[in-house]
Amino acid sequence: MSKEGHFRDALRKWIADTSSKASFEQVRDDTPLFRTGILKSVQVTDLILYIEELTERSVNVEQIKPGVFRDIDSIYQHFFAQDHA
Amino acid sequence: MATLAELTTRLCRISQEHFIDPFSRLDWPASIERNQWFMSPDLVSLHGTRHWNALDEQQRQLLSFFELINFFSINIHGERMLIEGLAKRLYREHTETVSPYLHHFLDEENKHMFYFGRFCNQYAGKVYPEKRFSIVREYADGEEEFLFFARVMLFEEMVDIFNRRMAKDQQLVPLSREINWLHHFEEARHLAFGRRLVEELFENHADHWQQEVRQRIADELAQFLDATWKDYFNPEVYKDAGLDDAYAVRREVLGDPAVRLRRKKLCDRSARTLVKLGLLTEESIS
Repeated sequence: MSKEGHFRDALRKWIADTSSKASFEQVRDDTPLFRTGILKSVQVTDLILYIEELTERSVNVEQIKPGVFRDIDSIYQHFFAQDHA
Repeated sequence: MATLAELTTRLCRISQEHFIDPFSRLDWPASIERNQWFMSPDLVSLHGTRHWNALDEQQRQLLSFFELINFFSINIHGERMLIEGLAKRLYREHTETVSPYLHHFLDEENKHMFYFGRFCNQYAGKVYPEKRFSIVREYADGEEEFLFFARVMLFEEMVDIFNRRMAKDQQLVPLSREINWLHHFEEARHLAFGRRLVEELFENHADHWQQEVRQRIADELAQFLDATWKDYFNPEVYKDAGLDDAYAVRREVLGDPAVRLRRKKLCDRSARTLVKLGLLTEESIS
């Protein structure tokens, strides 16, 4: 599996493990995470810490723009893609 | 029980009579040795776990230093959110009764941020950054107002448990003890005000909320309480204290039986007003 696929699946697994509303198979790369209630606003902190662990980089919350956590595609593009361009 | 208006008048009088100037009240040594206790050992996030048992006394004290920096950082971020929210609510139609006290509330929270910020910057050279990020959504009538003050109350109830314990702990460095006491002294009034206001907002709005809205509010507050508890487990603290695999340590200790027991005690106490209102239950916050 490519690094990109590895990170996307790691995020998918984390989301499925954290949420009671969607399984690993149900969370597609373009599935809205918050609009559909799969994740709640208060779970963003745990998601940010998991992204830090995967990227081994601190996340600066002050620089995050709305929409960054919309779906796995958006999360990957914002936090991971620069490492694999 | 006093009405909100009566309580507001009484709290304003006490705030005026017990005005504290934090700029002259505290003694700030130029530097502080870190081989002392800064946070009570049994309040340190790793206490009771195998990671705590593996540390010697000096390592535990160093960890307690960074845990106190994290505790003060949590306070700074929470109080910044509070100040933003309170300022927005001054002199609005529905806050006419309480606006006189909101002035004291704002003034006191600003002073708290001053001493928390100074301690962090002077002795650690930093404030740990916030990791919270709000997703905007729509609210039912009264929902946003109720959620704001209920979140504030949950946040301050938990902080106050730590403050009260550390204010009395003679093994702590004097400045830590004094800051915790000062904060508790003023937060006791904020909590009395917050509990009464939350009760009144609930009485005014709850009957108009459909079951779906009520459940959404209950779920969000239970999750907020959980997120607030987890803020006390900061991987940056563990890295600064020299622990390996900081994120894995956090994940592990959050599930540790000793930590789960501590969580239950703190969360039950923090949520008691919302449990009394019938919005949360011991099960929903477990």
